[in-house]
Amino acid sequence: MKIGIVGAGQAACTLIAELIRGQFDGNILVFNRESRSPYQRPPLSKSWLKNPTDTQSIRLLPEPIETHSSVQWIQEHVQAIEPDNGAILTNTRHTVDHIVLATGTRAKRLTIDGLPSDKSHVIRTVDDAVRLNHKLSDALNIAILGAGFLAFELASSLDHPERTIRVLARGNRALPQISAKAAERLVDQSPASVYVGIRIDRYDEESAVLVTNHGPIPADLVIMAVGAEPNTELAKACDLGSHEGIPTDSFMQTNHPLVSAIGEVSLHDQPHLGESARIESISEANDTAITLAKRLLGQPEPFSATPWFWSDQGDLKLQIAGLCARSDEESCLLDTETERVVIRHRGDQITAVEAINAAKEFMAARRLFEEDGISLKATLEQGSLFRLLQSSRS
Amino acid sequence: MPQLICIDPAEQAINVTFELGETILQATHRAGVDGIIAECGGGCSCATCQVILNADWDETLDAPSAQEADMLSFAIDPTPYSRLACQVELNEKHDGLRLLVAKRQY
Repeated sequence: MKIGIVGAGQAACTLIAELIRGQFDGNILVFNRESRSPYQRPPLSKSWLKNPTDTQSIRLLPEPIETHSSVQWIQEHVQAIEPDNGAILTNTRHTVDHIVLATGTRAKRLTIDGLPSDKSHVIRTVDDAVRLNHKLSDALNIAILGAGFLAFELASSLDHPERTIRVLARGNRALPQISAKAAERLVDQSPASVYVGIRIDRYDEESAVLVTNHGPIPADLVIMAVGAEPNTELAKACDLGSHEGIPTDSFMQTNHPLVSAIGEVSLHDQPHLGESARIESISEANDTAITLAKRLLGQPEPFSATPWFWSDQGDLKLQIAGLCARSDEESCLLDTETERVVIRHRGDQITAVEAINAAKEFMAARRLFEEDGISLKATLEQGSLFRLLQSSRS
Repeated sequence: MPQLICIDPAEQAINVTFELGETILQATHRAGVDGIIAECGGGCSCATCQVILNADWDETLDAPSAQEADMLSFAIDPTPYSRLACQVELNEKHDGLRLLVAKRQY
């Protein structure tokens, strides 16, 4: 059997590693557009950004797997796929038995009148990190657009006594993905000044400011951390996806039997949410890849994971069990000078646990989510999460 | 180059060369040692890179940070000599260090 994987990020690499460890009997073609070995993305916005030359330390695959005889790396741009023929088209035509779309997401960019391209940055690739790093030495004022995890990680990584970092949010608060109680702690500790409700009119290059509804905001550099969009063009062209993602079943199969989709492009039923969603996190990349590997190895098991997430901001470590949760109530389980744990619930279900500098509570919550699966109803009634969390502290 | 001796979950001994200042995870990952999962890639966030050090080496190492100790308490069957491979930096004293990869990471 020959499998063709389009993409070489976290999901693609986990799939490759799982197949090889599972004694996969066949060949794997991997289409990687970048000219370097696959690498981890989370370090790009963390301390690695200060010295973005050591690509060895962020390599994603162990050498024996990357160079395994069943894996063939193809550095060509994929222009189209033909599901019925099992064909992947670059400037040549590659025929496989199964196509895996692991095309990931790309950073969104905003168009700002007057902003020259050398002052406009995103962080998604090693090249982006190197490009930003080269411009840092004379940037005294940095404006980060967007107020999500990436913006605050960048603010911590770029913190310097002579530099002013401003995070500009379009919405009415920072970190809308998490509870206000958890967000407040991260914002308080951030070296950045946070501005909310910002509308940008244009960039004035002469005075190096962003002209906004709140007046001029100094910006020698502008970093756009306004979210990501899925790379679904290949899927769209053969009616397997839309701009929202590539729909799959719980075994990562798309609407075509010869095509699967994994990682951040896949749009599938998320058991912990009780609905279909596309989730951007390392856990999603790994868990969808593991689900597909099991199917390709002939031992299918449906996707059942609860996504989790972490973010490092200076001395603060945020860990979340249960991502993209909706909640109508939030309560603090723990609130000290350095730690905070917020439980989010909806009705009588716990939908997420957000832990700041509280690894035990995070791990206890993950354990419990795994054990209870989707039925967390009983959990809150019986108070077992609270008991587990309390016992974890004694 | 200095070396670690890793016993993987299949009880195979593997010699792993390391560079000073890198972590056990970086060295074992490069060598492709089985059984160290490190879902989070080395961010002390998932507790799936548990290794058990030979007791003799304990005093050549700094004690785990509070974060590492907390994560370890939820690893599978931790021992007093368990560490997270992503949090242990290697120096010249660690040439010949023996470690056991945890049988299960989750």
